[in-house]
Amino acid sequence: MVRIMMGKIHLPWKGSKIKEKGMKTLFFLSAISAIIVIFSIIFFLFRDAYPIFQKKGIVDFLIGMRWYPTGQPPLYGAFPLIVDTLLVTLGAMLIAIPLSIGSAIFISEIATPRIKAIIKPAIELLAGIPSVVFGFFGLIVLTTWLQITFDVPTGESWLAGSILLGVMAIPTITSVAEDAISAVPREYKEGSLAIGATRWQTISKIVVPSAMSGITAAIILGIGRAIGETMAVMMVCGNPTYGLIPNPITNVFAPIKTLTATLGIEMGEVATGSDHYSALFGLALILLIITLIVNILATIILGRLKERQRSGSKKQPIISFELGRKIKLSFYLFIGIIIVIILLMAVGIFPTVGILALIAVIYYAMKKISIKIKQKIAFSMISLTIIIVIIFLGIILAYIVTNGVGALSWEFIATGPSNLGRSGGIFPAIIGTLYLVAGAIAISLPLGVGAAIFLHEYTREGIVTKIIRAGADLLNGTPSIVFGLFGFAFFVLYLKFGFSLLAGQITLAFMILPTIIRTTEEALKSVPQSLREGSYALGATKWQTIRKVVLPPAAPGILTGAILGIGRAAGETAPILFTAVVFSDFIPSSVLQPVNALPYHLFTLATSIPGSKQNQAGTALVLLLLVIGIYLIAILLRNRFRKKMKW
Amino acid sequence: MILVIQINQQKEKRQLGMLVISLAVIIILGTSLFSGCVQQQGQQGESIVLIGRDSTSGTREFFWTFVMGKANFSASLLEKNSNGAVQQTVSQTPGAIGYVGLGYVDSTVKALKINNITANVQNVLAGTYPISRDLYMFTKGNATGATKEFILYIQSTEGQAIVTQEGYVPLQNTSHYNTSGKTLSGTLTVSGSTTVLPITDKAATAFKVLYPDLTVTVTGGGSGAGISAVSQGTADIGMSSRDLQSSEQGKGLVKHVIAKDGIAIIVNPQNTYVTGLTLAQLKSIYLGEITNWKDLSK
Repeated sequence: MVRIMMGKIHLPWKGSKIKEKGMKTLFFLSAISAIIVIFSIIFFLFRDAYPIFQKKGIVDFLIGMRWYPTGQPPLYGAFPLIVDTLLVTLGAMLIAIPLSIGSAIFISEIATPRIKAIIKPAIELLAGIPSVVFGFFGLIVLTTWLQITFDVPTGESWLAGSILLGVMAIPTITSVAEDAISAVPREYKEGSLAIGATRWQTISKIVVPSAMSGITAAIILGIGRAIGETMAVMMVCGNPTYGLIPNPITNVFAPIKTLTATLGIEMGEVATGSDHYSALFGLALILLIITLIVNILATIILGRLKERQRSGSKKQPIISFELGRKIKLSFYLFIGIIIVIILLMAVGIFPTVGILALIAVIYYAMKKISIKIKQKIAFSMISLTIIIVIIFLGIILAYIVTNGVGALSWEFIATGPSNLGRSGGIFPAIIGTLYLVAGAIAISLPLGVGAAIFLHEYTREGIVTKIIRAGADLLNGTPSIVFGLFGFAFFVLYLKFGFSLLAGQITLAFMILPTIIRTTEEALKSVPQSLREGSYALGATKWQTIRKVVLPPAAPGILTGAILGIGRAAGETAPILFTAVVFSDFIPSSVLQPVNALPYHLFTLATSIPGSKQNQAGTALVLLLLVIGIYLIAILLRNRFRKKMKW
Repeated sequence: MILVIQINQQKEKRQLGMLVISLAVIIILGTSLFSGCVQQQGQQGESIVLIGRDSTSGTREFFWTFVMGKANFSASLLEKNSNGAVQQTVSQTPGAIGYVGLGYVDSTVKALKINNITANVQNVLAGTYPISRDLYMFTKGNATGATKEFILYIQSTEGQAIVTQEGYVPLQNTSHYNTSGKTLSGTLTVSGSTTVLPITDKAATAFKVLYPDLTVTVTGGGSGAGISAVSQGTADIGMSSRDLQSSEQGKGLVKHVIAKDGIAIIVNPQNTYVTGLTLAQLKSIYLGEITNWKDLSK
């Protein structure tokens, strides 16, 4: 600290005013980059989708029952795709919500510090597993397991997609919900415990209801993540040819085709400029609008929550108590009716009545049980949720490690593939991933840090910051495949970059931009205001203060953000699928050449090259080690940084 | 005071009720799934699972034209984006049926006889195996330089040896490839049909040995992707397992036949119901008229 204060601070000199203005403009420009990007995405999607809307009409496009763009006549009905997208998300949430909220309660209220120190990073690691690795696991293990266990014709189904998406949404929901629960003021809990409530009573009556809006936002963010996910659903959902609504609608073993999967499969192969091409952009636009609505909802709820915390919880809750109870009741009623319908269809009328009677008996039996036993039951169920999450993580990691470790060797790392990747190594893919990630971070780091500096140092909270933040939030919620389509339409076709390293780098940079803005802002916030005031008092200008006083202590935080961005960029497939990658042993010598990348290499091996089992698992393991290693560095850095920072 | 506690206890009970309900939900879902699976016991591999290619595949288009007579596929057809994916899914799924290029038949799947003719290279050459077609490479205008040499190489005796080795049907009356005095450099990009991909990949490896300064990039994506790439200039050669469609003509593309291929109809090795099908049966299966293997084995 002393060292920073002793650092040289030049007094203002003649040219410094221009410099100050210049820096401010520069930061302003990087701040509005997020908005420019989101608007150009919407613009380009709309531009390329417009012809199909004009030709077939928006309504026909939305409610058409068949998707068959190459048929005679071609059919462009997006309705089954939209329904399937919503169904797979619904299923994922039925799995993810209980597990994540249980985990969040466990981490913030029940776990001892030591257990917390293990469990929290473990769940964060789950977030670090790339989507294509989930898809690979789903394709090889999950679908086969479902097919054998439930004796259905094929395991590639709605259920498989929902399980994978559910697991993938757990870290998102858990971390936001846990933040919300931890933010409940201590006095609430203390008050409750002081009047004699048990811990479970306190958690269920005081803590969780107080954190409810945060938990709702967490769930909505999780929904956003699940709707936009591409690679995993594309690999395990079966993709029936015209898009198919399950029949009956509760048939979880029916194969389905989501919006993202349709884009992933058809986009790379469609003739550009054709009706089919335009229709795919129409799908992307629908997808973007759905996720934007979902994310705006989450932002509004989280924003109100923050406001309420600032103004000291005197304001009315967002949902009044009475209304909340009504909503809850109708929700349970709805779920109950659905379950009864499922039961009737699955087992017939008599077993249904039996099961319902059993429930009633259990319900009344439970009413007699003492509070202490209730607490025990509740706590064990919550612990069960966290155990299930850890088991998921364990199974996936164990499968990939045990199968992949046999493929690992120096040759595998350092040579190119031969025989279409069945033998040989993955060197070009590793290099390609490094190139892509390096380019992405080189572009997004200056932009993101500049934007955060502008937001935090140069402006007061107001309309400008609100708009810029909204832009970054929207960008954060945009599905990765939509970035891919935008990159294809803008860089590959419009700017004529072709399939190239450069197009992939910029697309990835846009995708990780919001992460970097957010983490940098957090880091800037943690630098005390008094340091800045001290610097100004010594006569330093704004830019001098930022450069010499604010940035050095914020650097570790910014670095953490950069590393998180790197991890995300290294694991993503969808944005580079149509902008940069080719499956080959080719190492580019210029940014205008195409490139291979680890996630794409794994995707191609897993879906197109039979007899490459060993190398699939090996590639998955290397990718996993790379991404998890990057995340681990970020987590360690953050913990170290938190401990050290004492002002 | 007592009143408050009583209310609290009531609330408590309600809360617990919720918990019990959620527990019950888990149990119910578990039992319903379980009973669902009990009901279906013994049907392993009986229902037909249709596997096909995505809409831009040349193999699909050929199959659709030749076998289906351009009638619509059954809505339960599952799309895969490459021959390898079809083969892999069929090998993992007991009731599955799929169509792939001859080169993709191996021990993990069983190829069916069609009209009582075994799917192999000899029968395609003899013209007796009914489902076969030419494989193409397309170039923008007449091939020149490295593009021309590469196509000549594949059409040569050396190239056709690779074709045979990969399980496809070679061209007849070929001559040896001659490198004398030629040097090639730069990059050559080939993309398109996954049916043609294995041939091109092997040929590219061998070709790079002849011309060490040349970089050859080979990617899949499907026939449609290959043709649109070459007409846009993002690839030098487009691989295709079908001829040009009307919308693709008039763009100055030149066709080169590089091999022949039979389309094998494959099922899972566990499938004991059939060893062969007629073309009519195959069509009914893909139309969704026959949905159970038992109906075929009668």
